[in-house]
Amino acid sequence: MRVTTQLTEDAFADLCRARARLRSSRPVAIREAAAAARLSPFQFIRRFKALFGETPHQLRIAARLDRARRLLALTDRAVTDVCLDVGFSSLGSFSALFARRVGRSPSAYRAEVRATTSPSERPAALYPGCLNLMGAAFATLEKQPRDAPMDTA
Amino acid sequence: MRIKLTSIMVDDQSKALRFYTEVLGFVPKQKIPVGQYWWLSVVSPEAPDGTELSLEPNANPAGRAFQEAMFTQGIPVAAFEVTDLAKEVERLQAAGVVFTQMPTQMGPVSIAVCSDTCGNLIQLYQPPAR
Repeated sequence: MRVTTQLTEDAFADLCRARARLRSSRPVAIREAAAAARLSPFQFIRRFKALFGETPHQLRIAARLDRARRLLALTDRAVTDVCLDVGFSSLGSFSALFARRVGRSPSAYRAEVRATTSPSERPAALYPGCLNLMGAAFATLEKQPRDAPMDTA
Repeated sequence: MRIKLTSIMVDDQSKALRFYTEVLGFVPKQKIPVGQYWWLSVVSPEAPDGTELSLEPNANPAGRAFQEAMFTQGIPVAAFEVTDLAKEVERLQAAGVVFTQMPTQMGPVSIAVCSDTCGNLIQLYQPPAR
């Protein structure tokens, strides 16, 4: 079955509402979000992914990990508390997901942020200013000229 | 002064690079790692030395709020010119791209709107034949 590639205004609005509810700090269950969008869970997941590029589950996890990153960088909450705060019940699965997405464990991430930034720099370091990346990228190139062809795999 | 670079915020740069190259058909121009992000841009294969489109990470909550509001209100944040809109829309739909507006004639220009799967609505437009 082909996914619908034309959305009515209502169907579009339903999916946008579902995204906001899945991203909130008290996310709804996926079955509930599907029902609110008047779709079966199967259809809901397909349409959601086609519109937003990720499944409802992936989006909810990403939103939780984002909140975790912020709490780890900007507060002194213990890692276990951060895990529970953002809605995970198992420290093991939280740490594994965090490491997969961020590239290091929650505690290593916190240690790195603390070692490389002063408290006042931390909010900015968390959110690199978009076009600021250009300056940083070319400054890096200057230091170590790029000889390998661009990796676009 | 020239307009050589413009940008669009994306929720995930890897996903964006795939969509903008494999689906839309742009070609990568710059991909330089900066911390956990890239300085990443694409160009049109029809104008490899033309305007670059930078795919910026929208990690900043302020940027996200803006992006989400524009999307939810159905407002496109970028527009790309095409030669044959009907053909492009057919090609993109076959690739699974979701349209919120099918080709619509607006005076001499026809317009369609689709999702870039990275948090944005994109307007495609076909200008009058010259």
